[in-house]
Amino acid sequence: MKKHYIIFAGLVLVGVLYPQMFPGYLSVAITLLLYAGWATAWDILGGWAGQVSLGHSSFVGLGAYFVAVGTSHHEIAPWWTILMALAAAAVLAYLWGRLTFKLKGPYFTLSTIAIAEIFRLIAINEGWLTGGATGVFIMTLPEPFGMDLFSRQVNYYLALAFVSITVLVVMLISRSKFGYQLRAVREDENSAMASGINPTSVKLKAFMLSGALTALGGGIYAIFLSFIEPHIIFYLLLSVQIALTAIIGGRGTIWGPCVGALLIVGSGEIFRTTFAEANMLIYGLLIMAVVIFMPRGIVGEPARYLIRRVYAKRAQG
Amino acid sequence: MFDYVSFLQNLSNGVLIGGVYALIGVGLTLVFGVMKIINFAHGDFVILGMYCAVLLNSLLGWDPYLSLLVAMPLGFLAGAMLQRLVLSRLMEAPPESSLLVTLGLALVIGNILLLTFGAEPKSVNVSYASNTVALGEVSFSMILLLAGLATMVVIAGLYTVLNHTELGRAIRATADNRLGAELVGINTRWIESVVFGIGMALAVMAGVVLIPLLFATPTFSGAIFTLKAFVVTVLGGLGNMGAAIAGGLLLGVVEVMGASYLTSDYRDAYGLLVFLLVLLLRPEGLFGKTVKRV
Repeated sequence: MKKHYIIFAGLVLVGVLYPQMFPGYLSVAITLLLYAGWATAWDILGGWAGQVSLGHSSFVGLGAYFVAVGTSHHEIAPWWTILMALAAAAVLAYLWGRLTFKLKGPYFTLSTIAIAEIFRLIAINEGWLTGGATGVFIMTLPEPFGMDLFSRQVNYYLALAFVSITVLVVMLISRSKFGYQLRAVREDENSAMASGINPTSVKLKAFMLSGALTALGGGIYAIFLSFIEPHIIFYLLLSVQIALTAIIGGRGTIWGPCVGALLIVGSGEIFRTTFAEANMLIYGLLIMAVVIFMPRGIVGEPARYLIRRVYAKRAQG
Repeated sequence: MFDYVSFLQNLSNGVLIGGVYALIGVGLTLVFGVMKIINFAHGDFVILGMYCAVLLNSLLGWDPYLSLLVAMPLGFLAGAMLQRLVLSRLMEAPPESSLLVTLGLALVIGNILLLTFGAEPKSVNVSYASNTVALGEVSFSMILLLAGLATMVVIAGLYTVLNHTELGRAIRATADNRLGAELVGINTRWIESVVFGIGMALAVMAGVVLIPLLFATPTFSGAIFTLKAFVVTVLGGLGNMGAAIAGGLLLGVVEVMGASYLTSDYRDAYGLLVFLLVLLLRPEGLFGKTVKRV
């Protein structure tokens, strides 16, 4: 576990120094960080608790809309609206989970798609609340401590902070009692119940945490884009991207979602000219290859091999 | 006063559209029944059918219904190959794996179509597109009638195959009990290829039948059809063919009725709401057998 904290500190250091080294590539880096953060947050529910959600764009949208509508319609500073979005996301996740956690496996996944689609339709049609199908512009933002929130540098550090928080949360969870409860529920709900775990309550906590963290990223995303459209931010494809990033990297691992984001956003940049708008092709090919050849993901598969080797050695020695 | 003519008009439109939804749903539910695979690429197979008709129409000037003769066998072969090459590797894997692989497949199909045909919507113009058949004061769109007719023919054919042929018996046996079917000498791998081929051929057919009515867009509409297919199958109960037909008709009627009597902004939401309600209250489907769950 100590190793993980050392890697974490090293990566944060690299992240802090990055804008000085490559000031021209900030937008790509921000996208990368946001996806890494969302995928890590998704993984709390999808990987550690084993409930594959394809509705996480709802939480991105919730965070983004709180910030955008808050600043442009009601002149509330983004730090307050982000806090409100976190609370709202937790409440939403609680209600959502209460409603659908009795569904198992693929049925749960289908229900998340349906709920997220309903949210997208609401965001498009309820103009009085959300600005309607045309979306919301963020024209002005307050300047805390003289920082320009529109500048790429500030966006970058916000995104970096977001990833650091989510990864740290997952690291803490992975060795806590809660983390073991999550894994127990994922592996076998009946056995988990037999050992005194309440699966629904554990899954609800995971969903609330996952949703709130995703909404945090959504708020930062809104500031980064400064223009949000319901078609895109609430769309199924965003949910799919978030989920696939985590799954390709490796579900239920600390670094898997980040590695997945690096791989996908990186290859997206490399093939940007080749595929133009068909960038989701990479997701499609990668997920098929990963599921068939490395079912535990790019990080999960070698990690499992290493762990087995350690145990094998211990058993021999 | 209650307007009976417009009510009947809406009802008939709903039933006809529902027929096409049923066609899409039957393929999905057949695949689920036999292979226990949730096929996320099903909607993209529909889109593939649409583009097949568009291509044949623009190159050779074929009528969409003529292109069925090419599109359906091609769809069958492609489906059987996909099963053999990709999905058969996942029979032992957890159920999520097949969901994820077919989701990947959906993205690949959609984006390859995007690269080949471009993003702008495409359609096929037929001379009879705006023709209607009147029955009293209620009029039926010619295209929808043809679509409904084609659906009925195909579903009747499928029903005959499943219930009155040796192949159908083998398919039903595989769906009921894979191991048992293997023990009596059924080649279940072969049956699975055939079933996935049939599923894909049905989806392709729905696409071809719909093209005079709708525009084909490469990436966005695939997901919508997949979602509709799921709504249809879950309404009826996954793996049950007759129920999928009823589910399709129900979805069509609910959508059209909701759009005309409530508000059309939420047209797609009505189906989803009913879908959620059914999932939560009766996960075995409206028409599925109630099974005691352990």
